[in-house]
Amino acid sequence: MAGPVLRLPHIRLRTVLVHLAAWGIGVAWLIPFLGVAVVAFRPLGEVALGWWNLSPFNPTLANFAGAWGNSDCPLSMGIRNSLLVAVPSTFIPLMVGAFAGYGFARYRFPGRDYVFLSVVLLMAVPQQMVAVPIFKLMLSVGLLNQFLGLILLHSAWGIPWIVLFMRNFYRTLPVEIEEAARVDGASEFKTFYRIVLPMALPAFAAVVVLQFMWVWNDFFFAKIMLQSTDRAVATLCVTQLSGQFTRPWDLLSAAAILTLLVPVGLYIVLQRYYIRGMIGWTIKG
Amino acid sequence: MGAPNRARSGPALSFRRLAERSTFFMPAAILLLLLVFYPIATTIILSFFSGSSFVGLGNYGAILQDPATLNPNGLSGGPPYGTLVNNLLWIVIHLPLSLFTGLVLAVLLQRVRGASIIKSFIFLGMVTPLIVIGVLLGFTIEAPVGFVPAFFGSIGLPSLDVNWIAHPTTLLFGLILGSVWSWTGFSTIIYSAGLTTIPKDYFEAARVDGASEWHIFTRITWPLLRPVTLVIVTMSLLWELKLFDIILGATNAGGGVGGAADVLALQMYRYAFVALPPEANKAAAVACMLLLFTTLVAGFLFRRLLTGDAPKPRAARRLATSTRAGE
Amino acid sequence: MSSSTQSGTEGAGTGGYRPPRPLIKLIIAIVAVLVVSNVVTGLAVYYASLPPVSGAKVVTVVGPWAGNEKDAFLPVMDQFARTTGISYTFTTTRQEDLQTSLPNQFAAGQSPADLIFMPSAFIKTYAGQGYVTSLTGTIGPSTYKPGALDQVTANSAIWGGAYTGKVKPGFWYRVSFFQAHGLTPPTTWSQFTTLLANLKVIAGVKNPIISGDGVGWPLSDVTEHFIATYGGASMHQALTAKTLKWTDTSVHDLFATYLVPTLQAGDWSEPITWDSPGVNLFWNGTYPLYFMGSWITGMVSDPSDLGVFSLPGGVANQGIVFAADYFFVPKFAAHPVEAKRLAAFFASAAAQTTQVRQGGHIATAAGVSITAYPSVDARVAGLLTGKTVLPDLDDTIGGTFQTTFWSQLQLLWSDPTKLDSVLSTIQAAT
Repeated sequence: MAGPVLRLPHIRLRTVLVHLAAWGIGVAWLIPFLGVAVVAFRPLGEVALGWWNLSPFNPTLANFAGAWGNSDCPLSMGIRNSLLVAVPSTFIPLMVGAFAGYGFARYRFPGRDYVFLSVVLLMAVPQQMVAVPIFKLMLSVGLLNQFLGLILLHSAWGIPWIVLFMRNFYRTLPVEIEEAARVDGASEFKTFYRIVLPMALPAFAAVVVLQFMWVWNDFFFAKIMLQSTDRAVATLCVTQLSGQFTRPWDLLSAAAILTLLVPVGLYIVLQRYYIRGMIGWTIKG
Repeated sequence: MGAPNRARSGPALSFRRLAERSTFFMPAAILLLLLVFYPIATTIILSFFSGSSFVGLGNYGAILQDPATLNPNGLSGGPPYGTLVNNLLWIVIHLPLSLFTGLVLAVLLQRVRGASIIKSFIFLGMVTPLIVIGVLLGFTIEAPVGFVPAFFGSIGLPSLDVNWIAHPTTLLFGLILGSVWSWTGFSTIIYSAGLTTIPKDYFEAARVDGASEWHIFTRITWPLLRPVTLVIVTMSLLWELKLFDIILGATNAGGGVGGAADVLALQMYRYAFVALPPEANKAAAVACMLLLFTTLVAGFLFRRLLTGDAPKPRAARRLATSTRAGE
Repeated sequence: MSSSTQSGTEGAGTGGYRPPRPLIKLIIAIVAVLVVSNVVTGLAVYYASLPPVSGAKVVTVVGPWAGNEKDAFLPVMDQFARTTGISYTFTTTRQEDLQTSLPNQFAAGQSPADLIFMPSAFIKTYAGQGYVTSLTGTIGPSTYKPGALDQVTANSAIWGGAYTGKVKPGFWYRVSFFQAHGLTPPTTWSQFTTLLANLKVIAGVKNPIISGDGVGWPLSDVTEHFIATYGGASMHQALTAKTLKWTDTSVHDLFATYLVPTLQAGDWSEPITWDSPGVNLFWNGTYPLYFMGSWITGMVSDPSDLGVFSLPGGVANQGIVFAADYFFVPKFAAHPVEAKRLAAFFASAAAQTTQVRQGGHIATAAGVSITAYPSVDARVAGLLTGKTVLPDLDDTIGGTFQTTFWSQLQLLWSDPTKLDSVLSTIQAAT
């Protein structure tokens, strides 16, 4: 009996300290976001000398209204455009990558591993590496300043990691059922559709979350592809508001919050899939 | 895609099946060839030309001699150092810091209530668009709106109570530290996941044997996390090399005061999209330099993929088996 | 593959493989909603953005203005449509984006509009490559103030037109503040330095002059003012034309004599975001002097309390920077005839009168009555008399020079001892 009684306070102090430290760090990590949030909800005049000065304190939604309906680059339009780009840019590479990944996981052909490696290596390529030729290519086929052009670009760009991710996933599935189906004469598509696809849905969810966020968060491709203001996506609007000449912190903060609401919301709702994707994509290489 | 080697099931493939199988690769092949491989090849070719005349490595030489890339005065006079040095500095400072912080947090959060909430807080920086992170960092270190200068002012360090945006040294190191803040979520999450793959009885057995926590960490945790560390290092290096949005968001296309926070990706952007008329060839050369670095880094990690079915290092195999066991 | 690794953190099952069904359904539902809503909005946007079936007479215009600026510009377009019967479309596109897309579109034989507003450097560059329609005969210097078309004239042809612009006259101060402390605007350089010394000791004053920052342009404006005053219009013009080197002794001495000593003496604040809090900190007396363009009159609560003085004691032929907006008609314009009529209209006093009446703009066309201006702008327009009108230096050169110029001046403000390297870096970027 004496043991536990003696050990209890020791553990508790240590646990308390660990909890204090962990929560302290966690909250401290939020301070930059907190600052932006505070600025977004207050008139600029109050926060221009520091958002932590709380007097006067007149919370307002005017900044959000200003960013949402901004005449320069309304976030309402930016977010709509972002959705118009991000949704197809998520599903096209998902389909394409799911097929190719299956091929790499199950089919054998000479040089397969080298082809696969070269596809996966594309994950390392910086976007700048394709910017100029893509710009000229898109212009020559009339897809510059078009959502379709950006969607195709994002789709191609998403394929490498999705192929890697899906291929790794398929390889964890038992191959016997598929073999049996083939022996029974099922076509490759039928095998894929009937047997593999249902089992792959959780992996698809992870792909959807990650790819959607990457496209949503992308700035560089959108910047070079979308020229006219009425095509701007949300991330472009954020810089557009900060413009060439000003840094209106009130509008910028509100725009930043609005822009990150979608990925953060998605992350909160689908956290497990996001993390699953993140880990599957990295660790299981 | 070539002729079928030998399907796992054994019998040679019918033409129909072969055609079907090729179809699995077709859409990906078309998109990749057109929108990734072709532009990469074009950029590489562009980098050896000036206008329409072949100049060999001339563009590379010109870029390396440009003080914007390597500033000889930076060694003695402080930043701006040049883009190449800045990317290197980012790696030298950002990599160990974010790795270490992530590991400490992951270990610390192992036995904390509400750890998933804290992790979400820390991970917020990973979910947020990087351009927003850049704007946010600029906002955080700028005086008098940001809290970083005010914080140092309030603890009696007037030398840091300046507008961090307006001075080369504070801008550069402010952004490096800020990017550690935003990227630590990655290493924390991956390390946390790695920790869960270490069987609990390892720790318990060690504790029963009376091992100290430090001993457990150095002898069990750290060695078993090695493959995870490798992944984080690679991904972090790629991220540090590709750095772009944060700098542009926090400063401008010039990389801030005197180009103090300038990086290679931003330099490429300036050549291609700011210069009048555009200097596509120099832009291509910068991009190729960047590609060279990222490919070296990635090759380091992805080499393992080639030997997909070959025996893996012990720790990696253990990680893999325990992972699969979890399913 | 992946579900496992997070199972510990998430507390998910450790049993056999179980896809979490309810969440899948949720995802499918979300996705379905997203897809449906976006297909609908996508189609709506697509059809809304289709160009109207083109009638006979239409002209398309691309300009950088959005928001209030656009609202102030559209009345001019309406006036054009009313008087000529030519309808118009106006699209806002940022000039920095056009700078990349236009050359490529030109190379492909396309143009996004019939008349485009771009900096003079751009117009001249691409006129040289044959992508710009000459406006000689359509517009000419006779209807303009002297020198207004210099930046778009090359090879004795006129490639673009000047629209209205903005003036950067000098240091603004609050008249009430100066009165309260018994200060007067300086008329010599030594009076200026005395004024700075006097301001420095006033309680509540942090630095005499606020250094506006944003991405660097306010610093370039004030630097240009030093050049145009103490080097004269000729030095400013020579630097703009790149016939004088930034490393030249005359330029170096100018910086070393006038700008650098005041920077080292702490007469300038750290660069502070120019509009907010910058203007507020100027207005409340923390930094009592502010070098800014004429638009500051629209940013303070009582413009009548604003006074302005240019740097005193300069050389004989001084200049004043007047940054005009320029437009051109691309070679591949779909409606060249209408575009030329519009160009002639923009060059006219009629059009510019309508524009300056909206406030914030100064005309380049001759014959715009001073009574057309709001009173603050009339005062600014008056400052132009007797001085050579200069184009904005970094706007005129453009390209990477501009970003380098801005960021190097920021460096000079941070560390004035780096003058030599700052000047040589700027020179290298020209």
